[in-house]
Amino acid sequence: MNKGASMTSVKEHIEKARSGEVDLKAFMEEVMERTRAIQEKYTPFITINDNPAPPASKGMLYGLPISVKDCLCTKGLRTTAGSKILNNYIPPFDATAVSRSLSEGAFLIGKTAMDEFGFGTFSTNCAYSIPKNPADPERSCGGSSGGAGCVSAAADFPHVAIAESTGGSITAPAAFTGTVGITPTYGRVSRWGLIDYANSLDKIGVMGKEVYDVALVLSAISGEDPLDSTSHGGGREDFTKSLEGGIAGMKIGVPKEYFGEGVDERISALVWKRIKELEGEGAAYEEISLPLTEYSIPSYYLIAMSEASTNLSKYCGLRYGLHGELSGNFEEYFSKVRSEGFGDEAKRRVVLGTYARMAGFREAYYLKALKVRSKIINEFRGAFKRFDVIATPSMPVLPPKFSEIGGLTPIQGYMMDILTVAPNLAGMPMISLPAGRIGGLPAGIHFIADQMGEDSLFRVAAFSEGLEWK
Amino acid sequence: MEVMIGLEVHCQLATRSKLFCSDSTDSRESAPNENTCPICLGFPGSKPVVNRKAIDYGIMVATALNSNIARRMYFSRKSYFYPDMAKNFQVTQYEIPLALGGYVEVGDLKVRIRRVHMEEDPAKLSYVGGDITNSKYVLIDYNRAGAPLLEIVTEPDFKTPQQARAFLEKLSSMLEHIGIYDPSREASLRVDSNVSIEGGNRVEVKNITGFANVEKALGYEIVRQRGLLRMNMKAVMETRHFDAATRTTKSLRKKEAEADYGYIFDPDLPSITLSEASIKKVADAMPELPDQRVARISGSYGLDEYQAKVLVYTDKNLADFFEECCTRYAYKDPPHAANWIINYLLKSLNWNMTAIKGSKVRAGTFIEFLGLIDSGTITERYAKELIKEYVDTGISPTELAERNIRSTPKINLEEIVSAIISSNRQAVEEFKGGNARALQFMIGQVLAKTNKQADPNAIKELILKMISEAK
Repeated sequence: MNKGASMTSVKEHIEKARSGEVDLKAFMEEVMERTRAIQEKYTPFITINDNPAPPASKGMLYGLPISVKDCLCTKGLRTTAGSKILNNYIPPFDATAVSRSLSEGAFLIGKTAMDEFGFGTFSTNCAYSIPKNPADPERSCGGSSGGAGCVSAAADFPHVAIAESTGGSITAPAAFTGTVGITPTYGRVSRWGLIDYANSLDKIGVMGKEVYDVALVLSAISGEDPLDSTSHGGGREDFTKSLEGGIAGMKIGVPKEYFGEGVDERISALVWKRIKELEGEGAAYEEISLPLTEYSIPSYYLIAMSEASTNLSKYCGLRYGLHGELSGNFEEYFSKVRSEGFGDEAKRRVVLGTYARMAGFREAYYLKALKVRSKIINEFRGAFKRFDVIATPSMPVLPPKFSEIGGLTPIQGYMMDILTVAPNLAGMPMISLPAGRIGGLPAGIHFIADQMGEDSLFRVAAFSEGLEWK
Repeated sequence: MEVMIGLEVHCQLATRSKLFCSDSTDSRESAPNENTCPICLGFPGSKPVVNRKAIDYGIMVATALNSNIARRMYFSRKSYFYPDMAKNFQVTQYEIPLALGGYVEVGDLKVRIRRVHMEEDPAKLSYVGGDITNSKYVLIDYNRAGAPLLEIVTEPDFKTPQQARAFLEKLSSMLEHIGIYDPSREASLRVDSNVSIEGGNRVEVKNITGFANVEKALGYEIVRQRGLLRMNMKAVMETRHFDAATRTTKSLRKKEAEADYGYIFDPDLPSITLSEASIKKVADAMPELPDQRVARISGSYGLDEYQAKVLVYTDKNLADFFEECCTRYAYKDPPHAANWIINYLLKSLNWNMTAIKGSKVRAGTFIEFLGLIDSGTITERYAKELIKEYVDTGISPTELAERNIRSTPKINLEEIVSAIISSNRQAVEEFKGGNARALQFMIGQVLAKTNKQADPNAIKELILKMISEAK
């Protein structure tokens, strides 16, 4: 194989593969070799798929290398969700997002690194490898889908990553690695086979180099699934059709709460520059206020931790989780397994989540958080009656150095979520894409749309991407 | 010292598949852990999907219990660590269950229903080499895990163990008539009870199987708590376990306060909205309930209420059997059939430890049996013997009767009576002196000689005739 040919775009590669111009066997070998080279340099993988199965069909993803975040089950391939407690767990089935990709002809190169069970913003809360930012290996890729962002940025071959977001875990790494990340509407992609963080918030999404790449793979994996009762949206949609939709007449809301103190002014400036450019091309914008934004954080954490603390209960060493030496009674045994298997952040979330749903507290915490979520959804819905999309910075800061993260307290870490938590809590779809670079480091712009409004997102994102290349 | 008893009845619904996956609920022929899949085993990444049939069954039961069905219901996670739950939480209903309120009339007692909710059954634990208090290790069978359970919670309206048992028998009959419950399945009706006596604490007695055991467990518990009160001691708030072997209850764990299960709404299961039309559709398709059936069969077959109640409340299949005799086989004297079913057929079935369904008894051969009595071919007395053999073998009663007659030498009743009279002169004299028991004695002697095949009335007639002729 001509090595240069592997640098083709996803679109061109699939076209060539389908028309028989690519020697897929040689291509797969080359891709796995490069995957191992990336792993050596940036460690974005927990597990590399040494022997990927050849494409199952000549479908819409024919011959496309994909990576999968390690919280999605892959049949026969180790799946740990980034936790030591699931070390060596081999699932007996594929997640729907994985099986749909494979049945469309993709092949799996490996399982990407993540914060344990998704509990983190920097992909540093990892039981296995910590992915390094290809823009500067001393910096974080963001989290929790840090491995997915890292591979998407570093891949010197056509590649798309399947990732997952609960409260911003796709947007953060997309912004920090200078890639594109779509978090679809809650329920758009089946969660069957996703190792749960917080089921009412978890959304499987896609990361890649270009808007087309994520639109294509999202088209392949989305649509109702009888295995997940919360999935919806009927059959499959072709999101690549939205890419040519243009932005004429599009109305953009710009919420002031997302540009406040704590957001790097250079990033704000890049985002504003892009919004003005879109205005110049036929869109209209208006500054708005989403006053409930600040309440989204406590509401999000209460719901996420309450649900997470029940999801993690099964990892007790009986059926799931490390198998320790059998000693003591059941409670002593499972306490020992969980003490050894979970990291500190997982333990913190189990304790907080359990507390929030205990009798006497659940009214004030868990149940109130559910009510706040309804109000936040309504606030967004109100805004989307007037606007097609909302534009904000993706992350308030540039990717931090690993040495800087250590100095952050957990509360400071939680504050990083302010830009992404509200739309995640509300189940709104969102896309992050590069807005430019500052001192060589990527910064992202974030577009949010109403539930099931992915079409608007792809229209504005494809148009913005085109502006960058002009 | 007023006794208050409340019951929580867990009924395994006889759907074909489990509540959240497609595994079979019927494990009678299965090896342990055969009917399992990633969903009921709680594999990481698996998700539940509700079996709507179970919801329909729940609506039928709630309708029969006069309960208010929720128009929108939710499933919740009840968290606690226990080896019988792979996920360490049970999917159940908490804040907004299937139905609230309702009542059941049991004789003169109106038992109020507190709530009816749906939940998944945990796995079955086998305590190897002992019981929950002393076994060395435990085996887990997940065949039962995820089976749909309906929990029916009553208000503490029972004053006696007998009332509680009568309620359970009626409830069981209702569930059978609705057709959502198969009493032949293992442990398909499990009962937890709360017992308290005025001035004491509430004690929970868990996991009692069988209505007779419920009565025994409650009876023991009341005696125990009364004893404590007499010694000026209070029953402590605790959970106790009924030991069927010793017929006593043993303490399992003390309850400092109400257990805290940290309920959250199950985020994998969207709320279920029930339209008026969908509830009506299920209610309209509801089969006849026991009370309606008692009224109908006593009216249309001319039974007395007692007969109708025994037929209906003992076992739905017994009432079905009775109706088959009278309709399909057009048996002309239904009260007579009911009498034989209730008094003798049931006794023989019980003796064989079997129920009508699963026995060899068929309506066709049973009316043949009744016909033999009606035509005078066999005596009632002999019929009571014959029915045992018939229940045992299922062989046509006509054939059985003929076979027995062939194998018994022809009886010359006059010869036997004459012999008994001449060898019991004293009895004859006593009878003549007015002692009726002397006549009974002689009848008994004759009967014994005929191997109980002769008709006692005929014997009596003959003895009287011979004694008077001998004068």
